Amino acid sequence: MTVAIAERTKVGKQYVEALRARFGSSILDEAWQAPEQVTVTVPLNSLPEVVEMLYYQQGGWLASVAVNDERPLNGQFAIYYVLSVEGNENEAGEKAYVVVRAQIPPHQPEFPSVTPKVPAAIWYEREARDMFGLQPVGLPDERRLVLPDDWPEGLYPLRKDTMDYHYRPEPTTENETYDFIKVEGEGIVQVPLGPLHITSDEPGHFRLYVEGEHIVDADYRLFYVHRGMEKLAESRLNYDQVTFLADRICGICGYAHNVAYSTSVERALGIEVPERAQYIRTILLEVERLHSHLLNLGLACHFVGFDTGFMHFFRVREKAMKMAELLTGSRKTYGVNLIGGVRRDILKEQRTTTLQLLGELRAQVTDLVNMLLETPNIVQRTQNIGRLERQVARDYSPVGPTLRGSGFARDIRVIHPYCAYDRVPVTVIAKEGCDVLSRTLIRAEEFFESISMVERCLDAMPEGPVLTEGFTYKPYQFALGYVEAPRGEDIHWSMLGDNQKIYRWKCRASSYNNWPSLRYMLRGNTISDAALIVASIDPCYSCTERVTVVDVRKKKATIVPYKEMERYCRERKDSPLK
Amino acid sequence: MLKLIKEVLKVGEATLPYPFKPVEVMPGFRGKPHHDPERCMACAACAIACPPNALSITTDLDQGIQTWSLFMGRCIYCGRCEEVCPTGAITLSPDFELAVMNKDDLYERADYKLAACRRCGMYFAPLKEIEYVFTLLQQSGLPEEGLANARALLEVCPECKRKNDVPKMVRLYQEED
Repeated sequence: MTVAIAERTKVGKQYVEALRARFGSSILDEAWQAPEQVTVTVPLNSLPEVVEMLYYQQGGWLASVAVNDERPLNGQFAIYYVLSVEGNENEAGEKAYVVVRAQIPPHQPEFPSVTPKVPAAIWYEREARDMFGLQPVGLPDERRLVLPDDWPEGLYPLRKDTMDYHYRPEPTTENETYDFIKVEGEGIVQVPLGPLHITSDEPGHFRLYVEGEHIVDADYRLFYVHRGMEKLAESRLNYDQVTFLADRICGICGYAHNVAYSTSVERALGIEVPERAQYIRTILLEVERLHSHLLNLGLACHFVGFDTGFMHFFRVREKAMKMAELLTGSRKTYGVNLIGGVRRDILKEQRTTTLQLLGELRAQVTDLVNMLLETPNIVQRTQNIGRLERQVARDYSPVGPTLRGSGFARDIRVIHPYCAYDRVPVTVIAKEGCDVLSRTLIRAEEFFESISMVERCLDAMPEGPVLTEGFTYKPYQFALGYVEAPRGEDIHWSMLGDNQKIYRWKCRASSYNNWPSLRYMLRGNTISDAALIVASIDPCYSCTERVTVVDVRKKKATIVPYKEMERYCRERKDSPLK
Repeated sequence: MLKLIKEVLKVGEATLPYPFKPVEVMPGFRGKPHHDPERCMACAACAIACPPNALSITTDLDQGIQTWSLFMGRCIYCGRCEEVCPTGAITLSPDFELAVMNKDDLYERADYKLAACRRCGMYFAPLKEIEYVFTLLQQSGLPEEGLANARALLEVCPECKRKNDVPKMVRLYQEED
């Protein structure tokens, strides 16, 4: 099932050897999909120990967990824990993706939960239960994650034999039945934040547990807008059309998903992408980061009450949007990738205009960032706020600026270089503050790094073709594709089918890994900072409409409109709880 | 604060007067697909490539009509249709103002006549597509006699071709023996 990978090019053999040394014959199979991607198959009962060893002893980070209904192929379900293994603190190791695979028999659809040993797996295992009906044994959280609470029991959308992608079952209940965590104690109040006002922003329901003004704990219910894209991709689209769907995963960083998907398929099929195309992809990824970081910097202004700054960041951001329009033909949903390369070359006059726009952006954003940092309350409002402690970050595998703000210099562009990042190296920006300020400053610095990346790529890109054609579609090949999106690592696991379609496509957006640690960032802060903290992870969904505040002492729930929470965050007077 | 005020004064009005004045898009912008029915031959290449099924082809074998249709409500402006069209009948225009008062106005349709098979009389392929293939052969320098043969072959439906070919192959096979 795998492309032949030359022995000497393999990266990460040491990790497989270490696993063999400890688990011996439990390592049933070892298959290489690419020089830095290996999948090891283990028996179901040793799954938690193997993942734990890779995660905590070999310096692994949980990148994704893909579940695949392989019953039509081999009679079993399979679960793939994707870890980026990077060597531990004592010993810098090679950087490779080690995927731990275990098969789950259909007559006993359960697997031992990894979460008690590696907390980062929590969302993935809840999702495996929702979408495939595979029960994680030993996972304390028994609530649904992705499926709505009014979805019928026993209907698992991603199993191959359950439902057509068109099918919309009748809701089974009228009420929202999600069981938020219970926090009890003297003086604790619940603050629900959300769930819905789709017209303005994206939906999500937060529940903050407060004591007076202080947040004791937080819980949230998301996935109100789960669109079933994975099901759609395997059912209706051809594998070469999925790139256009991947573009639409996110309205901000869609191109990152597009590249992640394309590269996963290209790796699975062993397609060489022309060098010029790799440079073009790199340029467009950085152009996307430009507008995305400007958006977040603008929001940072907004949440600390500096709305003029917000307006000016958005005015300047327009230049980045123009640049995208010029280079791709569209402000968003660039749609320039095909399997094998890109569809549009960068011509001389486009290059000239881009360089000119970059110069203007650099000058104007420098001024704006200085103004933002000189605003008297920016540091006061963000320093030591929303702390993500190093250990929590280590346990939950967050990604992107959220992780780098807690002192880990992890950037997929450097750890697992893709496209042209091995030829045009990028400087990783990390800060030790663990707070909202660090995360904001990282975005500001990364913005300038991205400008310089685009300039260097435009300089260094070689002449030549931009698309490889005439490759062969081979059934049941699979591989990973990964991109450092503006919010962190996006990772796609794709397996091709035998019908010009994709058999299974697991796409994981960066915010998916960032949400679980948000709870820890909110704890210990005041509710006037809640909106600021949520915005600091720059979630793909960014706003929530209402907040429920639960007072633990008075046992009373108050519903506060989100606009009111946001206003309180900006003005910090007239608390909505009084 | 002073710097900010200076910046605000320097920038002046940032809001565009749109829709009272038109907005220029960048060259190469991917807007509404423009269909040239004269060039189109209803070959369905675009309908196969279209990721969101905005383009579709329906065949009416009774009437002998093949209908090309575009539903703008589904179009994602990716431009795959433009790329795969063999005759250059579809191009993406810079037009981005697409609001309509009536949903039906989002549909665009064109009907093409189908050719009937010389042998069985069943409709099987667009007339224009057959002409297109014939012209290609002509331009590739096929001699007169070859062209006549080619036309005879082109105007037979795949089903009849199969039925016709089997006895021919059997005969050839026997001759070889």
